[in-house]
Amino acid sequence: MKMTRVSFEINNEKVSLDVRPYETLLETLRERLMLTGAKEACGMGSCGACTVVMNGIPVRSCLVLAPEADGAVITTVEGLRQDGKLHPLQQAFMEKGAVQCGFCTSGMIMTAKALLERNKKPTKKEIIKTMSSNICRCTGYKKIIEAVEEAAKKI
Amino acid sequence: MVLPKFEYKKARDVADAIALYKGQKGKAVYLAGGTDLIPLIKQRLSTPSVVIDLKGIEELKSITNKDGWLEIGANVTLFELKIYPWIRDNLPAFYESLEATACETLQLRGTIGGNILQDTRCLKHNQSLEWRTSRGFCLKSNGKECNVVKGSKVCFANYCSDNAPALVTLGAELKLEGPKGERVIELTTLFTGDSLKPFSIDAGEILTYIRIPAKKTKGAYEKLRVRESMDYPLVGVAVSSVGVAAKICVGGVGLQPRLYELEDAGIETAIREIADKASSDAKPVANAVVSPAYRKKMVGVLVKRAVKRAIGEGK
Repeated sequence: MKMTRVSFEINNEKVSLDVRPYETLLETLRERLMLTGAKEACGMGSCGACTVVMNGIPVRSCLVLAPEADGAVITTVEGLRQDGKLHPLQQAFMEKGAVQCGFCTSGMIMTAKALLERNKKPTKKEIIKTMSSNICRCTGYKKIIEAVEEAAKKI
Repeated sequence: MVLPKFEYKKARDVADAIALYKGQKGKAVYLAGGTDLIPLIKQRLSTPSVVIDLKGIEELKSITNKDGWLEIGANVTLFELKIYPWIRDNLPAFYESLEATACETLQLRGTIGGNILQDTRCLKHNQSLEWRTSRGFCLKSNGKECNVVKGSKVCFANYCSDNAPALVTLGAELKLEGPKGERVIELTTLFTGDSLKPFSIDAGEILTYIRIPAKKTKGAYEKLRVRESMDYPLVGVAVSSVGVAAKICVGGVGLQPRLYELEDAGIETAIREIADKASSDAKPVANAVVSPAYRKKMVGVLVKRAVKRAIGEGK
């Protein structure tokens, strides 16, 4: 089947590449761009491990077709570090012990990043509501909420 | 799970989408937010040769409130509707149903058109092709009998939209545009009761707008689910009321939502009677994550709870 040419900006870098029309954005990120921060867990949009930020909105990249990303601005967890310094969310996740097995972490952080972009000072209730979009198999939710609260103070 | 092969086409406008559909001889599907469709394709429950993306159609992203109607483009996301102040202040049943849908990330991506036209679901149907092949195909996969109620020639899949029951109580209409032109239907006539074709939409027709009478209502939406986030409704009850009269719609059980009308929502015995009737009408089977008996019982409980909250606390 014919490949489709897509161009998008990812982590402040413009890329242009050929993708299968039936390829997910998650597959493009992991297999073509070697950005393996976004994880595949359920593959059905339920768990949030594959969350990346596309045009300012958190998306399940396992549910986005690669051609849909044409012209988009995408940020993955790899794009958060600036000038060698971790993003306040990454720092807070480390400091608060919000990482256990780590599989959900990148999705959690990207969901939180999109929240803090549209709501600079979220209440605890708002943080809980937003973060309930993602599943943590280790059930470390309390520490995750604390980490997002901590990061919100520093952004 | 890997997607099967299909082509991807992006529609510029509604006419372009219909033209693209016509060229595919019925083997195309329309894609909006993708939160329902992509999992269905992954599980080989939908097997299109072409996917036509409607997301780029700007005209379907508008919300207008004029001439007594709130007209919502089908591409408007659930999150955009949730933060639209007029809806929160005047259509509480709809607002609460938006709040109760899936989770915030999916609300940011999922569209109102896609939510209404989501396929019916069943624990024994929404499974991978391998799972279904090993078990034998059910009625909804063109098999000979239901896999939940053995021997049954009737499908018991559930229509799991949270928003549609609320919109039914508000007297919503749908604007459709297709190869044969435009038409407007009442939302209540959308549902066919046929598991293979749950909606009375012709091939190639696109849901373009949802129209709701723009008047202030009181209301509430009650949802039975295991977790506070992401779950589909095991039972969903919407109530909207103007004056003392109330409309009640029960979703999440069976192929279509059921509408009930209450002349005076202030009369306790009338509420109890309608709750009992709704519970008696509901015929849940063992195709969800809680028992049918519990779901049946909860239909009545949620009707009472939603009516009382609508008339007591609703705005």
